[in-house]
Amino acid sequence: MAVGHPLDPYLRTDRIPTMWCPGCGLGVVLGTLLRAIDRRIKEGLLKREHIAFVGGIGCTARMTLYPLFDSAHVIHGRAIPFALAVKVVKPEMKMIVVGGDGDIAAIGGNHILHAIRRNADILVVMVNNMIYGMTGGQLAPTTPRGLYTTTTPYGNPEKEINMVKLAAALGANYVARGSITHPHLLEQVFYKALVKQGLAFIEVLSTCPEIFGRHIGLRNPVDLYTELKKRVVVKTKPSVDESDYDWEKGFVIGEFVEKDEPGYIEIYRKYISKAFGGGEE
Amino acid sequence: MRYEYLTGNIAIAEASITAGLKFYAGYPITPTSDIFEYLAKELPKHGGHVIQFEDEIASINAVIGASWACAKSMTATSGPGFSLMLEALSLAVITETPLVVAYVMRTGPSTGVPTRSGQYDVLQSTYGFHGGLVIPVLAPSTPQEAYDLTIRAFNISEMLRTPVVLLSDAVIAHTYGKVAIRERSEVDLIDRTKPSVPPDAYKPYDPVNGLVPPMACFGEGYNVLVESLTHDERGYYAPRTDVQRRLMWRLYKKIVENSGKLFDYSSTYLDDCDYALVSYGSTALTANVAAKLLREKGYRACSVKLKTLFPVYEDGIVNLLRGVKKVFVVENNLGLYYRELRGVIRDKEVVSVPLIDLDVPLPQEVVEVIKEWL
Amino acid sequence: MRLEILIAGRGGQGILLLGHILGRAIAKHTNLHILGSEIYAAETRGGDSRVDLVVADREEDADFIKVMRADIALFMHQLQLDAYRDLVRDGAVVFLDKSNVSSVPQRNWRIYLEPYTDIAEKEIGTSRVANLVALGHIVKVTSIVPPGAIEDVIKEVVSKEWVDINIKAFRYFTQR
Repeated sequence: MAVGHPLDPYLRTDRIPTMWCPGCGLGVVLGTLLRAIDRRIKEGLLKREHIAFVGGIGCTARMTLYPLFDSAHVIHGRAIPFALAVKVVKPEMKMIVVGGDGDIAAIGGNHILHAIRRNADILVVMVNNMIYGMTGGQLAPTTPRGLYTTTTPYGNPEKEINMVKLAAALGANYVARGSITHPHLLEQVFYKALVKQGLAFIEVLSTCPEIFGRHIGLRNPVDLYTELKKRVVVKTKPSVDESDYDWEKGFVIGEFVEKDEPGYIEIYRKYISKAFGGGEE
Repeated sequence: MRYEYLTGNIAIAEASITAGLKFYAGYPITPTSDIFEYLAKELPKHGGHVIQFEDEIASINAVIGASWACAKSMTATSGPGFSLMLEALSLAVITETPLVVAYVMRTGPSTGVPTRSGQYDVLQSTYGFHGGLVIPVLAPSTPQEAYDLTIRAFNISEMLRTPVVLLSDAVIAHTYGKVAIRERSEVDLIDRTKPSVPPDAYKPYDPVNGLVPPMACFGEGYNVLVESLTHDERGYYAPRTDVQRRLMWRLYKKIVENSGKLFDYSSTYLDDCDYALVSYGSTALTANVAAKLLREKGYRACSVKLKTLFPVYEDGIVNLLRGVKKVFVVENNLGLYYRELRGVIRDKEVVSVPLIDLDVPLPQEVVEVIKEWL
Repeated sequence: MRLEILIAGRGGQGILLLGHILGRAIAKHTNLHILGSEIYAAETRGGDSRVDLVVADREEDADFIKVMRADIALFMHQLQLDAYRDLVRDGAVVFLDKSNVSSVPQRNWRIYLEPYTDIAEKEIGTSRVANLVALGHIVKVTSIVPPGAIEDVIKEVVSKEWVDINIKAFRYFTQR
């Protein structure tokens, strides 16, 4: 029997290796997230049976297949309402939604918008590889303007969405951007976000050498990784105005918003108990 | 038990509370919003949750999530909303998630006449989602039946781990009637079977010895997998023909092999009948009175009201109508359920009586049409 | 026993409330079975308001939600009397609000012609309760439901400040 990985207790090891391509950034995301979860469990702040992963469709959503927790791999864009409902029924749950930029910002756009507005008690991890990977390289709302994709063969005319600004504007309790090129920082934002009430939104810049790399001429995983790392600007407590999302100017990572407003569940329960004198069954 | 004077919509809401509803998610739509509003006020008194979501897509996905958190869950909608829910209903089918959708049909297509009625969506209610399987569909025609069948819908959803559609319409929605409301102790309620094995031996899609797998919920340490991909008994993605075949046949059989158990109908004069008027929903009221009018005129007519529309209990329906010479399918659409019955009843003539009426069709109109065929 | 009851008038005359109180009293306080439906124009005032009730002692006879041959009818306005009079059968008991009906058709009906609106305004204090004056008359003549049941239902469905005046209006005929 080979020596196991320290994170094996949190994994469905019979499903490893993952379906992700060599050089994909998603392994770093899963690894850092599990490390952060492990620390919180060991601190006694999270209970493993109360952690659940929910994902829609896409390479990132497939992250729900591997951790050994309650998991739901649902339909494209709809992880958030599923997760919020579980949280409403079982407030002791820690709901972690994992999705790609297409899953969260495009087809799931309406749900992330309203989940943030509600300050729903969900940790949303949006892994942004700036392209539709699983379906073979189509335009995402995060794709840099001008890039040639399979559905913008003459160049992408559209402006990129800056989800950090959107999440901040709508009042999320915690908004951060990380990058798989900076795993320690990434683990740290996960670690913090895991015990936040209300909505925590983390955008993770990631590498998809197979698809995005091919489009941008950096097919080699190391080249793409190095290129992304060059364009990532680490800032301590940057303001939302500094949250540049621009392939040319660079991507600012850091913690943009950290608040402790009451989350949706707390407020919801307050109204119900006010109406019924704390009389929930 | 107590008697109330309720509309079909409020009867559905009352019944869902009796059945143990714990989570309702919805989006306002005519003519169902009063189900939502009533539950918003009443359900929290019974420890349940009611949330308005940003659209019907979010609502149905939330209902699926809540069901996996052990809560009996429901939403209610009409045609435009149900169309938006179809993708998620397909998810509920493959993940075998118990839930109830109260589908109050209105005049279509598209926005149609939002406040008025029709039965145009009877086939969509079960065939609308992708994946080629069947969702049980129950159809009340009075407030009392709306109450009784709502409880039955919850029981079927829990028993077979399936979404169930309660198919009402705008007429029943606003029809008042005397409704016997029962206490929870006065009704038989079915809850999903929980796993009897420890978490490390649990497989969320293993039917053990039957067709319906025991269901663990989130938060109980079972490491549940809700999987929209084709999956094996563990819930692991398995893009293989043998797994697909096994899954498809089981999902099909667990509904269709229970057709007899799910079948429900009522009839008048069936034991002395040449001409059967078969109908469902609000139009069954019309057909029933039309049969009486025909008998007054000396024709041996009868009425059969189908309360279970899907799965179609083929043997049961054939047997039910065995003594009849001719079958008339009366419905407020262009003759949709007629297609189902025509495929089932081969030994006698089946005639479609398609009516298009914004309200409940009048019996005299049916009599006029049918007289031509007698 | 199977009875069809038609209640019709103009929007604003309290037709739906009258129909609801009567239907609810029958459903909750008698052994009779009942189905009923409402029609109302989109505008709150002025359009058609109509309540159809089908009442029977056997459940299978409370079989439809529209009146086809009314046994009992109330018309609170000439417009609805003209529009729906063919739904009323020969021999039916028909109540007419004399305050709003000027032309009574020559039909084989048992007609009760009383100025419900004027009574409400002059004897009770507001024309808004003309509907309950009329309901009292229907209950008095037909005995379809005990008057006490109607009064119980009024207390259940009418907002508090209106209960007494509605009961007073209802009793105008029942306690004569």
